[in-house]
Amino acid sequence: MKYMLMIYDPADYWDATEDEQTADYEQQVSFSAWLREQGITFIGEALQSPTTSTTLRTRDGETTITDGPFIELKEVLGGFYLFDAPDLDAAIAIAKRCPAANIELRPVWE
Amino acid sequence: MTHPLPDATIAALYEREWARVLGTITHLTRDLELAEDATQDAFIAAIDSWPQSGIPTQPVAWLIATAKRKAIDRLRRQTTLQRKLPLLIVPDTTHDDDPTDGDDVIPDETLRLIFTCCHPALAPDARVALTLRLITGIPTADIATLFLVSEPTMAARLTRAKRKIQIAGIPYRVPPKAEMPARLPAVLQVIFLLFTNGHGARRGPEFVRPTHIHHAERLARMLVALLPDDAEATALLALIVLAEARRPARHDADGELILLPDQDRRRWNHALIAEGLARTRRALVLSAGDPGPYALEAAIAALHTEASSYDATDWEQVVSLYNMMMDRAPSPLIALSRAVALGERDGPAVMLTEVDRLADDPALHAYAALHIARGDALAGLGRVTEASVAFEAALATSQNAQEIRSIQRRLARLPRSS
Repeated sequence: MKYMLMIYDPADYWDATEDEQTADYEQQVSFSAWLREQGITFIGEALQSPTTSTTLRTRDGETTITDGPFIELKEVLGGFYLFDAPDLDAAIAIAKRCPAANIELRPVWE
Repeated sequence: MTHPLPDATIAALYEREWARVLGTITHLTRDLELAEDATQDAFIAAIDSWPQSGIPTQPVAWLIATAKRKAIDRLRRQTTLQRKLPLLIVPDTTHDDDPTDGDDVIPDETLRLIFTCCHPALAPDARVALTLRLITGIPTADIATLFLVSEPTMAARLTRAKRKIQIAGIPYRVPPKAEMPARLPAVLQVIFLLFTNGHGARRGPEFVRPTHIHHAERLARMLVALLPDDAEATALLALIVLAEARRPARHDADGELILLPDQDRRRWNHALIAEGLARTRRALVLSAGDPGPYALEAAIAALHTEASSYDATDWEQVVSLYNMMMDRAPSPLIALSRAVALGERDGPAVMLTEVDRLADDPALHAYAALHIARGDALAGLGRVTEASVAFEAALATSQNAQEIRSIQRRLARLPRSS
């Protein structure tokens, strides 16, 4: 099965110092390395701050474009991985290795 | 040639073997909803064909084979045939970790079902309900009654949970030991509910449903074999064994219910009592001074079984154990049991005060036991007219034929006037 691992960060996460962000990035790099070692097929990306988001709403064929995220939240999507795992328990075991405090796992429509 | 209608046989098989058939089909199809439908189909097929063909020599094997065929039929009607058919032919065994680490206990399909339904990724309120539904096959309406919600609410909850198991890929297995602690409380609760439901089914004609108790006992034994050092699992088994020990005395020759004070203690099963007491002691040792709810329940049951008569019960200890339970996990039902124990220790006036304090609890108001306890206290005080009003209220709330007759006997025993 395919799972999406979503990392949620506090909305002010992107205000962190460059050093803090680099340290975090390196943790994710070593997690990616571990995934590769395990032979797990995956892709993963880190996202820019939601203040850089653009939202599109289409009603009756009319699209409105606005600045900012779809919904203002205290914790926002900061990055994701998409990977293959045999079942939810295996996916949870992988997610436990991911260096992040808040993770949501969702199966991908197949 | 026709055979006598095997309806009773099929009903008994349904109670006893539903989970085994469902578990096997789930194992093969990895699809709970499909397995549930196919199992239902197989029992319907038995009702249709056994009166003509007679009962097969191996009814469970027949049911499993039929359910398997019904599952394939259902799959054929779906577009997923290509994807799932191979699983029906070659069962997927890649995730069958052996949680027993070489132990001689082979967890059966029922245990696998329970652990799957108690996965922490499922909503807590759905876990126990789903497990009960799947391992006993009891109707959704009855489960809704047990959880005090409406039938549509319960049906929606069950459907959501089954979909999640399927779509999120929750594996169908007994988890490795490291993952057990997170699932154990829900598993224990299911076994406990099965056991209490077997002992005091609130609906229907019989007060004791031995099949449910046997399920509960068998599952508790398997759990203890899996986790021999778990205090609460051991305590739950102790509790069930002690109740089983008393069962022979719970009924008179006509099958009528005899309550604890009136039971002939010589009819108790003393081998089971010895086992139950030993398991209670072990549970208390394992809980190392911090007994959980099942250890406390087992300790209370042990005090009852150790007493030579009802009056000789160590009520002081019973009350203090109920106090501990109220400190840890208060519930209206425990409060009611505590009130009755207080009454035995301090007399009917105290009991009445305690019961009246609970009477406003909406969860208890619809519960016949509250009104029975109130009636007993009033009768003990000689307030006959009020006692009969309380027993009438109990009659109005009870949905169980045996309980109703037990209340009617109380009414009949009241003196004519006060």
